Amino acid sequence: MHRNAKLALSVLAATSMVALAGCTAAGGNADGDSQSLKIVYQKTDSFTALDELFTKIKPEFEAANPGVTVELEPIQANDDDYSTKLALSQKSAETAPDVFYEDTFRLRSDIDAGYLLNIDDQLADWDEWGQFNEGAKAAGMGDDGSVYAVPLGTDTRGIWYSKPVFAAAGIELPWQPETWDDILTAARAIQDTQPDVVPFNMYAGKGTGEGTVMQSFYELLYGTGDTLYNEDDQKWVVESQGFKDSLEFLQTLYTEKLALDPSEALDPNVWKKVFGELFPQGKLGGTVEGSYTPSFWQTGGSYEWPAYTEDMAVATFPTQNGEEPGGVSMSGGWTLAVGAKTADADLAFDFLALAVSQENALWYAINNSQIAVRTDVASEPTYLAANPFVADVTELVDVTHYRPATSDYSKISAEVQAATEAVITGQMSVNEAAAAYDTAVEGIVGADKVTTK
Amino acid sequence: MTVSALVTSVASPRKATAAILANAVLIVIALCFLLPLAWLVLASLDVKATYQTQIPEQLSLDNFAAVFNPELTFLPLWNSLLLSGGAAVVTVLASVLAAYPLSRYAMRFNKPFMYGVLFGTCLPITAIMVPVYSLFVRLNLLDSIPATIFFMAATSLPMAIWMTKNFMDSVPVSLEEAAWVDGASAMNALRRIVVPLMRPGLSVVFIFVFIQAWGNFFVPFVLLLSPSKQPAAVSIYSFFGQYGAIAYGQLAAFSVLYSVPVILLYVLVSRGMGGSFTMSGAIKG
Amino acid sequence: MSADTVSRPPSEVVGRPGPSGPGPRRRPRGRTLTRVLPLAPAVVLLAIFLLGPVIWSFYGSFTDAALTGASAQDPQWVGLDNYLTLFKDPVFPLSLWLTFVFVVASAIVGQNFLGLGIALLMNRASKVVSAVVGTAVVAAWVLPEIVAAFVAYAYFSEDGTLNQVLAAAGMTGPNWLYSFPMLSIILANAWRGTAFSMMVYRAALNDVPVEVTEAAMIDGADGIKRLTWITIPMIKNSIATNLMLITLQTLSVFTLIWVMTAGGPGNQSTTLPIMAFQEAFKFGDIGYGTAIATVMLLIGAAFSLVYIRALRPEKA
Repeated sequence: MHRNAKLALSVLAATSMVALAGCTAAGGNADGDSQSLKIVYQKTDSFTALDELFTKIKPEFEAANPGVTVELEPIQANDDDYSTKLALSQKSAETAPDVFYEDTFRLRSDIDAGYLLNIDDQLADWDEWGQFNEGAKAAGMGDDGSVYAVPLGTDTRGIWYSKPVFAAAGIELPWQPETWDDILTAARAIQDTQPDVVPFNMYAGKGTGEGTVMQSFYELLYGTGDTLYNEDDQKWVVESQGFKDSLEFLQTLYTEKLALDPSEALDPNVWKKVFGELFPQGKLGGTVEGSYTPSFWQTGGSYEWPAYTEDMAVATFPTQNGEEPGGVSMSGGWTLAVGAKTADADLAFDFLALAVSQENALWYAINNSQIAVRTDVASEPTYLAANPFVADVTELVDVTHYRPATSDYSKISAEVQAATEAVITGQMSVNEAAAAYDTAVEGIVGADKVTTK
Repeated sequence: MTVSALVTSVASPRKATAAILANAVLIVIALCFLLPLAWLVLASLDVKATYQTQIPEQLSLDNFAAVFNPELTFLPLWNSLLLSGGAAVVTVLASVLAAYPLSRYAMRFNKPFMYGVLFGTCLPITAIMVPVYSLFVRLNLLDSIPATIFFMAATSLPMAIWMTKNFMDSVPVSLEEAAWVDGASAMNALRRIVVPLMRPGLSVVFIFVFIQAWGNFFVPFVLLLSPSKQPAAVSIYSFFGQYGAIAYGQLAAFSVLYSVPVILLYVLVSRGMGGSFTMSGAIKG
Repeated sequence: MSADTVSRPPSEVVGRPGPSGPGPRRRPRGRTLTRVLPLAPAVVLLAIFLLGPVIWSFYGSFTDAALTGASAQDPQWVGLDNYLTLFKDPVFPLSLWLTFVFVVASAIVGQNFLGLGIALLMNRASKVVSAVVGTAVVAAWVLPEIVAAFVAYAYFSEDGTLNQVLAAAGMTGPNWLYSFPMLSIILANAWRGTAFSMMVYRAALNDVPVEVTEAAMIDGADGIKRLTWITIPMIKNSIATNLMLITLQTLSVFTLIWVMTAGGPGNQSTTLPIMAFQEAFKFGDIGYGTAIATVMLLIGAAFSLVYIRALRPEKA
């Protein structure tokens, strides 16, 4: 049996390699006396502000809570991959985070999935919650009226335009369009006077993803009087004239060549061209973008451009025909939430509260070009002086709307993007694209969840 | 006097024309294949790189300097080496062991096993990542480089077993017979006779698995949590996402750094095999 | 070649009671176990890491498992719903078709014939040229997939190298990735994978005995005739196996297409792996995504069966 023994031994050795891997797996299990808090958040080459913030407060928190270790677990990925990895980790208690960074857009569906902890109790005991403005309190709210997350800041969207380009077209500055036609008039003027400049771009197509709807389509749609989602009935709106009008506006922009070429518009990297090349080189008249825009151009940003403070200006996006309230904006923003599977809810919340304390919220708002959601931060002089546009973009909060971020939202958003793409590439007419959207929405949510009002 | 001496006269003009034609066509093909790569190399040396293949005004190593920092480059490359090398070693070991009975013994389940294993090669890995993640959670294997190595080995096994078995089939059994007569066991014969003869074949399998593992993004992204354990495939992915349309030069430089190790490995291995990296014996069906 | 007809390793021959030699026999159970033992590590790895998850995800395709939303907490059995939705989804038949086109054009036609052609030419060409071509072709294959994808993206983009070359010849090239997405990814995948076929065919051609082709030459057969009637039939096995392997590999190509076109514009280059990834991870719809992946697996199995049938007559 000598040979068999050798054989058996070698095989045993091989298979025990696998078993060994199971036993000696790394993975910082916090057993023993020390407690640990796992903090999961996104980090990219252009977004390091949160990482810096957490690294700063980690020693502070550990000092104030002896025996507690804070484990920072940044995920280096784009938004989609980040949320995938986060969702995967939420599935079990060993991997679920205690505090994590969450997009308002995914909030409701993640609440449905049971990933977030209801923090009403902790907020009731927290004296700083009163400093957060109304919009902020609503941002983290679930369908049941309880609050599940605290916003780190918010953003708005408006028209960013190049003063030199507009001046060269003879348009009076400061420019504030009152209706959609005003935009077209200005764009055509730029096209006549400066043929090698892109007059007015608005994102479209699936390449830019959520940017297409937040920084382009919704500014149009929500200015027509029609909406995407009927909040009262909790039904999705189809067959609306406003939807078609918005598609038509985009179609006009692209067919008259007032915007970028459709092939460029479909490139997921088009925003980099806008920020990194077109504006700094004075080759773009205007676009609709977010209040976080200065973070790209200021010192330390990805596309540093000191002259932006002189050359750029902000205008409110108008409603279709100038109806009240006279402007449209969209807000999103990210929040911090407590994981539902956390071992110690109060401790986790304490960390969260520290991260959004007045001092830290102020630092974060300035360094990440956020609009403050705390009234005490919003009135700080350093916040207001962070860049010349803070006041302008903060004003847009008055006319802003939020996405109906239900579980089905991401699929419906993809259909809106597909509709814009079909229209600017000429693959479908406005009516066809709108009809295709209606059919798709019904397919996603079911016939009983759509309405024509 | 052999037939060859009669017929294959090197001096025959038809053969010379054929050779010239063949050379010409091959050179054109080589150029087509090299052109995209030329861009990569040139762009990495050009601070003003664009998508065009252009001779840099000024050859510069600035792009490399820009991406040359431990966190961005060295640590991930080291992790990649661990993961890919580990996966390749485990795969080769397991597939040599597995291929031996499949090649030397005729058992009823040989064919079904081989074909079943073959279906494994057409498995889209993204499809099973969610159950694999859950599996890893249950076995507490998350964020473990050894466990990830074993997983990557497992996914490479189907192809590796197939290739190794075919390589082994072309090693004549007669050599082992002599050893058996002398009283060696199966495993001994495997180790002392078969494996050394299969070295070229095993190198092919090793390289194959290594290259695939080197470029694998999704598996380490999902199974590893600490940023310090992430391989270069993950960090390069986010690099592309961020710099995309603008910093082509840096991207090219990073890509070159990322590709050099695999290219070196390939060169080393084919040198070791006497300059001929072929699939001889790998694909016999 | 199999070990059927020659001597058998020690467990049967040396030091064992009873007769030995070729031919199937009933072996004592212990013997079979010993023989099969070396398979254990591979089998264990495959069972834990591959078989288990495959079965799990197959099961998952019958539920509404998701990464987020209410069904993330409590996945429900939905039976064939995912599959029904899939077959009604207008993108699915398109995706099927695109995948078919991609596999046939870039693998079966592109990589296969190019690889065979290069291998044949190498036999006629000088050693130096052969070495250069070999290296050039293999370089594209050795490159990590994302680098190859990005290089291809740069090459085919509007202000990229391909259009540069065309401009030098006096033509204006279109925006390849936008106007001809399928053509771009087909060419890119052929560029990337030809090395494998080339290496297979080089080895196969090497094994064709010179005497046979020379005999044909004496009989007056010219190059083409020799190729069609002698060489190709002799490497039939390799051709079939090669086709099978590259088909299966090409079926699951993901990163190359994702980086070059992301399945776009619209859905014009959305092959099945792209569709599966989008559904599973972009939308978090795991059940649906794994249904697509299961369909892919079945397609791969179907292709394999076709090739196996083609191989079978050759097996002794």
